[in-house]
Amino acid sequence: MPKCKKSEGQAIDYASKLLPSAEEEPFEEHLKHCQDCSEAVASYTAVLDLTDKAQDELTVPEVALKNIEMNVYKRLAVTQEQTLLSRIRAYFVSSGSPFGWYKTAAVSSVAIALITTVVLIGKPFQSEETFRLTESQSADARIEEYRQQGIQRNLEEVLITHHLRNDAWETESQLHRMKEQAHGTNWTKVADKHLQSLQSGDSTAQ
Amino acid sequence: MDKLIDDEMLVAQFQAGRQNAFDELMKRYKSKIFSYLLRSVRNYEDAEDITIEVFFKAYRALEGWQPKAKFSTWLYKIASNLAIDYHRAKARHPVYALEDTEIPEARLVATDLHSDPEKQLEEKERGLLIREAVDQLSPKQKAVFMLSRYEGLQLKEVAETLDMAEGTVKIHLHRAVKRLQTLLRPLWENNEI
Ligand SMILES: [Zn+2]
Repeated sequence: MPKCKKSEGQAIDYASKLLPSAEEEPFEEHLKHCQDCSEAVASYTAVLDLTDKAQDELTVPEVALKNIEMNVYKRLAVTQEQTLLSRIRAYFVSSGSPFGWYKTAAVSSVAIALITTVVLIGKPFQSEETFRLTESQSADARIEEYRQQGIQRNLEEVLITHHLRNDAWETESQLHRMKEQAHGTNWTKVADKHLQSLQSGDSTAQ
Repeated sequence: MDKLIDDEMLVAQFQAGRQNAFDELMKRYKSKIFSYLLRSVRNYEDAEDITIEVFFKAYRALEGWQPKAKFSTWLYKIASNLAIDYHRAKARHPVYALEDTEIPEARLVATDLHSDPEKQLEEKERGLLIREAVDQLSPKQKAVFMLSRYEGLQLKEVAETLDMAEGTVKIHLHRAVKRLQTLLRPLWENNEI
């Protein structure tokens, strides 16, 4: 029996489900009468089934994905992009791991020190230890965390803007706004502290 | 966050300074990019490193990114280029390649605790043989095959990802499947797979 004149590509496309829809029906009609093409389709289908199965076995375990974001930010942090600081911190907060430290007024001074370090020196973290200051977070604390995360970010932005522009009046009104937003959290105390130092003319807010 | 916000919108938000938008993009794509790279490099640790590198590069380039193609296509492009670099580097340093005679991906393959261990081993072996056959495709054939078959990219998107004409993509794809048939047929005729 002579080899069918139809291109093998069509059989491959059909087996791969990549045949343009307009060609599908005519080709199926052709298959009914052509043994060559039917055999080709069967063979390619078998090949693809085998490879599909072998590839499906390669799944990435959930645990391997857990640290991707953190490692991306670490990698970015190495390049010393200062603006990353808040992103790194926001990520840690939203991922529910560290940064329980802003929860009490006592430790919020750590936040201030940290932020001031960023503003003045630009080298936020001495070591990774800073990230590990915390307890693990319960699931229902998550929503509140998201809120606080936003407040924290705003504060950082206020302080960085203040450092760059040194506009006390603008900073003061931003701090007041932040304080309103932070109602009911310890962040209001942080805002108060910054407002006090601003009014006493100490621009480092220490 | 809801999926209603499309990737390009998230990119725009990131560019406008919304910091969490990039987290959301990573969340959406880390698994896909990781498994694409795992299939490509077939080494768990390297796949993880390259995944991190993909997002690192994406982050740094995203500021000036223009939505000429889909964000996902662009991300796969970064991943494909890094995978090609990886294979080149490996080819240039055969000593390095010799070091991992044991293929770490084999350990990753999920095991079903309820099935017969002997059969399980057979299955693993089988999968490994088939993946080794896929490895024998040329880098371009392999990339085209993986992107279209396992990453769900349309031929047009594969073309964009790999900087090829759509017709060229088709040719590589046909060659890939034919080559796989040639490689795998003796195995199944001998009941090895
Ligand atoms: Zn035919």
